[in-house]
Amino acid sequence: MFDSIIDPTIGAASGADRGPAALADRPETLSGLRLGLLANTKHNAEQFLDEVGRLLAEQHGVTAVVARKKPDITNTAPEPILDDLRGGCDIVVVGVGDCGSCSASAVADGIILEQSGIPAVVVCTEAFTASADAMAGLRGAPGYRYLTVPHPMANLTPDGVRDRARAAVPGIVGMLTRAAMAPVS
Amino acid sequence: MTGPPAGPAEPAADPAEQARAVIEYCYEQDWTDGLPVVPATRSGVEAFLATTERGPDEIIGSAPHLGRSITVAQAAANAIMAGCRPEYFPVVLAAWEAVNLERSARGAWQSTSGPAPLIAVNGPVRSRLGINYRGGVFGPGFRANATIARAIGLIVRNGYGIRPQELEQATQGLPGRWSVCLGENEELSPWEPFSVVGGVAPGVDAVSAILIRTCEYVDNRGTDSPEAVLTDFADTLARMGAYVGGGHSSGGLVLGPEHAQLFGRYGWSRADVQQWLFEHAVRDRADLVAAGKGGEDNPVSDPARAGTRFPMLPSARDIPILVAGAANAAMSMVFRPFGWAPWSGRSVPVAWPRALSQARYGN
Repeated sequence: MFDSIIDPTIGAASGADRGPAALADRPETLSGLRLGLLANTKHNAEQFLDEVGRLLAEQHGVTAVVARKKPDITNTAPEPILDDLRGGCDIVVVGVGDCGSCSASAVADGIILEQSGIPAVVVCTEAFTASADAMAGLRGAPGYRYLTVPHPMANLTPDGVRDRARAAVPGIVGMLTRAAMAPVS
Repeated sequence: MTGPPAGPAEPAADPAEQARAVIEYCYEQDWTDGLPVVPATRSGVEAFLATTERGPDEIIGSAPHLGRSITVAQAAANAIMAGCRPEYFPVVLAAWEAVNLERSARGAWQSTSGPAPLIAVNGPVRSRLGINYRGGVFGPGFRANATIARAIGLIVRNGYGIRPQELEQATQGLPGRWSVCLGENEELSPWEPFSVVGGVAPGVDAVSAILIRTCEYVDNRGTDSPEAVLTDFADTLARMGAYVGGGHSSGGLVLGPEHAQLFGRYGWSRADVQQWLFEHAVRDRADLVAAGKGGEDNPVSDPARAGTRFPMLPSARDIPILVAGAANAAMSMVFRPFGWAPWSGRSVPVAWPRALSQARYGN
């Protein structure tokens, strides 16, 4: 009816039309796999991931751990960091999305790794599912599943962070191993 | 009353009804910030593009993590929707560029802090376009101020697709997120224009932008002492609530002309005011610790500095000060820059197209 009206959401042809994102195949078990940990700069993120890494090694037999921290909470991890993870890891845990921009960019990191064939599990606090879901849609993976943990994370004591990590491990293992990560469309 | 007319509904012939239908259509497309928008049409966009020498497809902003880029034509469409007139468009483009100079703008539009751009305009363009600088500068009431600021918000929303409660995650936001655009009252300022601080020559139309989290007034009409007024400013600037922890807090001032002229009368330069405020906007470290803002990895708790008071602001230079409003009461506004990088210190000259007549666009 109003064909002459210009759609203000249409800009330059860019990465916006990526098409559907293919997710990585899941292994049967984590035993012997090389684990990557991709942290952002949020408070307690590295401590959380370190504890997850320790528990995955102890309980599930993951081997060499590559830990990287990206410099910027808004953007996806820079290529050199992604290359380190692609080259040195079979599975990656990404976190912790506990703010407006970092939850979305953590999901983007996870989907980028998935597209490289690396199963990834993204950890976000439950307060930011809308932002995480919106990013999954933008990245061609609507319904991409990530692990939610209670909010907030930043004010936890070291013991609290370890407890949070311990509680998250079963979900992380489930998402890295089962074939249920496909978008729920 | 009669019953409804028989037969199929005809399109409304009344132009006002048609306009209303167009506004509703734009709401249905989810293109608005909650207020009605002006529909953008091809001829409308062409009129805007005629005010700039930049090409319609030139990219003027990118969010690589979202896979979205903004073109000049797209900015024009959103400026139309915001209610701008074509001749505002060069100012919108300069404002957009100024906003993007700010390091804090990178994650700002998705941030829980929900910051607003404070857009400040200097130069003769204020009078030519009717950009208010003389009273009630934080609005509302002036088309240029209201729509230039709103255009930036619609570009973010529609261009990047950052919508509230989706990618935009502001916890509470703030009053006037996309409505703060003011002219500096150069005529009543004792100092050089703010855009000159930002590196643009005097008399040149220019736009500066600072992302802010809120504003708070300081009403001080009872003294003729610069130090007394500064003491009042320093108290508000040193407020703990604005301090996020880590690094320093942030603060700047939009001085009302009466306060600015008081400083001018007593020979205080802008730098003098900044230095005084930096030195006096301090707090006891114990206050911050008591409020839970002095963790062990925090500069508040630096053992080497124990016994000194904590400077709340990062440096004298990082206290931006401009002058706006009416000379009818001695009040000023403290604003709170977002993030740890208060202001880039760079203003952006407004680029007017050579092809257009001086009479219409000036410069």
